[in-house]
Amino acid sequence: MTDQTSVIQDVQRGMIPAHIYNDKEIFELEKERLFGRSWLFVAHESEVPEAGDYVVRRVLEDSFIISRDEKGEIRALFNMCLHRGMQVCRAEMGNASHFRCPYHGWSYRNDGRIVGLPFHKEAYGGEEGFKKKGQSLLPAPSLGIYNGLIFVSLDPDAEPLEDFLGDFKFYMDYYTKQSADGIELRGPQRWRVKANWKIGAENFAGDMYHTPQTHTSVVEIGLFREPKAEKRKDGTTYWAGNGGGTTYKLPEGTLEERLRYVGYPDDMIARMKEQWSQEQLDVVGKDGFMVSAASVFPNMSFVHNWPRVEEDSDEVLPFISIRQWQPISEDETEIVSWFAVDKNASEEFKALSYKAYLMCFGSGGMFEQDDVENWVSLTSTAGGPMARRLLLNSRMGMLENGQNVVEPLTADQYSGPGSTRIGYSEYNQRELLRRWADHLERPMEKAAQLHVGTDPIQSPSAGGTDPSRASTGSTAIPAAQIMSKEA
Amino acid sequence: MSLEADRNGKTLSEQSVLGGHAPRTQRTGESLPFDDALHLQAHRWLVDEAYLLDAQDYDAWMSRIAEDVHYLMPVRVTTALGAGYSTSPGMAHLDENRYSLSRRVARFATEHAWTEDPPSRLRHYVTNVRTFRTDNPDEIIVDSAVLLFRSRGDVREAATVSAGREDLLRRTGTGWELARRTIMVDESVIRMQNLAIFL
Repeated sequence: MTDQTSVIQDVQRGMIPAHIYNDKEIFELEKERLFGRSWLFVAHESEVPEAGDYVVRRVLEDSFIISRDEKGEIRALFNMCLHRGMQVCRAEMGNASHFRCPYHGWSYRNDGRIVGLPFHKEAYGGEEGFKKKGQSLLPAPSLGIYNGLIFVSLDPDAEPLEDFLGDFKFYMDYYTKQSADGIELRGPQRWRVKANWKIGAENFAGDMYHTPQTHTSVVEIGLFREPKAEKRKDGTTYWAGNGGGTTYKLPEGTLEERLRYVGYPDDMIARMKEQWSQEQLDVVGKDGFMVSAASVFPNMSFVHNWPRVEEDSDEVLPFISIRQWQPISEDETEIVSWFAVDKNASEEFKALSYKAYLMCFGSGGMFEQDDVENWVSLTSTAGGPMARRLLLNSRMGMLENGQNVVEPLTADQYSGPGSTRIGYSEYNQRELLRRWADHLERPMEKAAQLHVGTDPIQSPSAGGTDPSRASTGSTAIPAAQIMSKEA
Repeated sequence: MSLEADRNGKTLSEQSVLGGHAPRTQRTGESLPFDDALHLQAHRWLVDEAYLLDAQDYDAWMSRIAEDVHYLMPVRVTTALGAGYSTSPGMAHLDENRYSLSRRVARFATEHAWTEDPPSRLRHYVTNVRTFRTDNPDEIIVDSAVLLFRSRGDVREAATVSAGREDLLRRTGTGWELARRTIMVDESVIRMQNLAIFL
């Protein structure tokens, strides 16, 4: 494999070799070193509200059943039969107490435990031949939940999810915790675009600069009043923990007036005031900023906008969308896009907010249509040898000597955590790609292996994986026989 | 039998989040013979529409859309045979009324709808057409299959979308207009960069 050291070094100083947006070898490295250990969003608890509910989600090629077991615990189970490796669940959503493999009939409870193994005694000689007791579908090596958002990591030693998210949690609450009961998710819509996955993540993280140009048409048709060039650069970009995003500057007014300005009704405003910390309220009410798009490293994004969705009305309606940029290959991404809305909002608000989402974002959204056209075009031009000669300048906001064009806001000017600046810049895109580069240059350790139904040949080493980590806070799954295999 | 009967015995238009305004007329009886005048009119209407959509003549297309139209394209999901549903509850790709359709059309008419400038080369293939009477002499139900071929530029492969449609057509003084359309796309994951098209 080609030595990528110089690519990584260029990215670390904000110069982007254009081919990283369409390069097979880079993608192989991303699969191994980035997606092989990052925290990755897969589902929300509201998608599996009842015992037995499940959805099936992928982490690149790996299929996981995200289920709620009979005790109400959330599970993430690798969708591969322990016998011959068949997918035990071939639907993408439903409700089931058990998953039965169609190949030889092995069956598993919705917490992963094996319950049916046909002819266990006759074929295997019972427990002495195959240790059925304690066997379970392989759980995701790590699982974490924040505000109902379910993440998995293929790294059993991943740092706790909340540590990983860090101060970005402060901003995540605007999207996912507008009241004590949080959000409900609908969807997702899924569609494939011939674009590299990083482009969307970078765009949502910090690209305020594209809004007035790419999205001119949605202003012209009266859908959106905000993204005029003057307006957009008055907003901020912030980076906190492992995520960052953009805000719009709000007109003068009180907290309530400003939340009304983006379309929130008084009942929702009252719940936000109960739910959010003083600092979270101050970003809106005192500092005058409202969150818009954001990304969590590596491939999860949020968007919050407030279009006009009804004829003969100047009222705007806010909506929230959560998405995952699921990589398919170096030049193809499956966009997985959910609509999210506060559980306690009125049915009328939920319906209009959903309408706002459909008109703006998602597979048919009018903002999104033009974004994707750009990203597909960029990806295809990045695939040839000329793109290898081009180092794209992603240093907006910094002079050549590294000095800032605009200094970060001080604590007097801004109440939120992280590093926040007014105006156009590419700090956030650099933050995202710097993490990308750090992952790509760090080799992987060999993953632990599970020996199905038999004792490992070697006893577990001292540094072996603790399988109880894999199912948060639960001991319902007896410890699987996992050991570290010596390289 | 509607193509969209489901676990609640409700049509998808009835279950959709934004279809509360939609006309509720349903089919009665068997499909009409292919030489029935109503069927011939319906078939002609669909073929004429396909030519308008291929040409992206959206103003002309909008003139054939009823004031109370409900234009619905649910998200299809893979579910077990016994599940009784194959669409994502509470979510659609498109769940439109006349106003939201008019915004989509208006956007294409600006000079800044980059996704269709340069425009795609489009071909709507319409087949498997059958027509049903309803209890209203001025309304008919028309089923059809549609395959859209969409080609952009010279580098990318063309994209296709295959779908079944159930339409409610209403007779007016000047011809037929579309009062309800439910598009049952045949993929759970759309293999097209966006839905800046109509089916």
